[in-house]
Amino acid sequence: MAHDRPTPDDIRSMASDIGLTRLTDEHLQQLLQATRTAQARRAALPVARLVATDEPAHVFRAEDGQ
Amino acid sequence: MTDLAWLTVAEAAGLLRNRTLSPVEYAKALIARVERHDGRLNAFLRFTPEIALEDAKRAEDEISRGLWRGPLHGVPYALKDIIDYAGLPTTAHSKILKDNVVAADAQVAWKLKAAGGVFMGKLSTHEFAIGGPSFDLPWPPARNPWSRDHFCGGSSSGAGSATAAGFVPAAIGTDTGGSVRNPASMCGVVGIKPTYGLVSRRGVFPLAYSLDHVGPLTRTVRDNALLLDLIAGHDPHDPGSAPHGASGFTAALDGGVKGFRIGVIRHFYTTDMPAEPEVVSGIEAAAAKLAALGADVREVSTAPLAEYLAVNRTILTSEAFALHEQWMRDRPQDYGALARERIMAGAFVRAADYVNATRLRRKMADAFHALFSGIDVALTASSMDLPCRIDDPKAVEYTYARQARAPFNITGGPALSIPAGFSQSGLPLAIQLVGKPYTEALLYRVANAYEQSEDWVRRHPVF
Repeated sequence: MAHDRPTPDDIRSMASDIGLTRLTDEHLQQLLQATRTAQARRAALPVARLVATDEPAHVFRAEDGQ
Repeated sequence: MTDLAWLTVAEAAGLLRNRTLSPVEYAKALIARVERHDGRLNAFLRFTPEIALEDAKRAEDEISRGLWRGPLHGVPYALKDIIDYAGLPTTAHSKILKDNVVAADAQVAWKLKAAGGVFMGKLSTHEFAIGGPSFDLPWPPARNPWSRDHFCGGSSSGAGSATAAGFVPAAIGTDTGGSVRNPASMCGVVGIKPTYGLVSRRGVFPLAYSLDHVGPLTRTVRDNALLLDLIAGHDPHDPGSAPHGASGFTAALDGGVKGFRIGVIRHFYTTDMPAEPEVVSGIEAAAAKLAALGADVREVSTAPLAEYLAVNRTILTSEAFALHEQWMRDRPQDYGALARERIMAGAFVRAADYVNATRLRRKMADAFHALFSGIDVALTASSMDLPCRIDDPKAVEYTYARQARAPFNITGGPALSIPAGFSQSGLPLAIQLVGKPYTEALLYRVANAYEQSEDWVRRHPVF
């Protein structure tokens, strides 16, 4: 699904795959820019500091049904 | 009598309670002010003077019969237009929801009604609380009362503008990556993002479920504490609502800062994301003032700002896209360009990246809260830049991201933006005070001591 450096053609195909079929060329250009921004953020996530037992901030808790 | 536009909630409450001031007279004065000036500021998306007069007449009748409900009774307020008010549309400033008339009040709106507040209307926002100051939406963007050519911050843009302009003494905004504190900073007013879950989000259109907070904007610290006292509390119908709450914020305001340990997070605005010199000078002057008032001011450090921002934006855009995906499929053309691009940033975030961001969130929050074994309150920047021109999209995009607010949507504790003077060009400066969860009272106490030592709150914009 995700390309490391998507091209305009990649992004049109990726958008279609998730049902975003009504995007204009202008919208697709925005999606391309937004996806590149998101990829830059991904690269900035300091995941190397995580260990296996680091839990997500919001973990599931079973209710007692009361 | 004092110009009614600049009465604080606390001042108005005293005058209304002893019947020196009529709620109807007060409401009419502010209605006239909005009618005269808001065509230039666009703070209100939907102005409701007819509701305000009904509320004011009811308040007048009740107070005259000795039925005083508390400090908001007969006092005007307004809501960001992602907060439901029964019988009115909640538009989120978007074409997509322009006819979205809601049947029930948000919990926060219900509480303000119950407190006897006088509802003045719905306030401009950035589209779905994530766009920017856009000119391609059904309503124009709010402007900064200190200079209408300048950005007033957002996304609670109308809340900042209306409060600073003297249209209302209090407004309610929301904050997912800094959206109460940004307009507070840019407009020279007080805005708090309370502890996550302290104020109910029921009836508030979501942006990102795990990061959304509701908070008040006011012109003074005391008023902010008064409003938070009114709207905080557990709501069993909000799944994120805290099972216990803090309260008594107003009662804890006085007493000063002597002996308080205040940790300055200097690396955020000096090395991680260097701020404009006037912004840095304002923060350092505030830190020096707090030291002069008796606080023990020291430097502390936490994770780099870029790491907090990456975690915040990964979570925010993922949750926002999940919410907007169907509309993006069906009617992408009905979004403004800024909101569409910002929401679409979540389209291709991998599930593993979202989960890892939430794992990092816990780790970073735990580490940040550990700082508070050595300090009571942290002090840092809010915005790194002065308000830019609203008609310069590149400057808006650049400065919007240069902020130190989003870290505290990650950590979940309270964060308060307060005025810290003015630039040479006359635009507001601000500082941000931050605490561990449920320490709003400490933040307000420090902020009140600082506010009392300066004269910023007595300055008002001319427009």
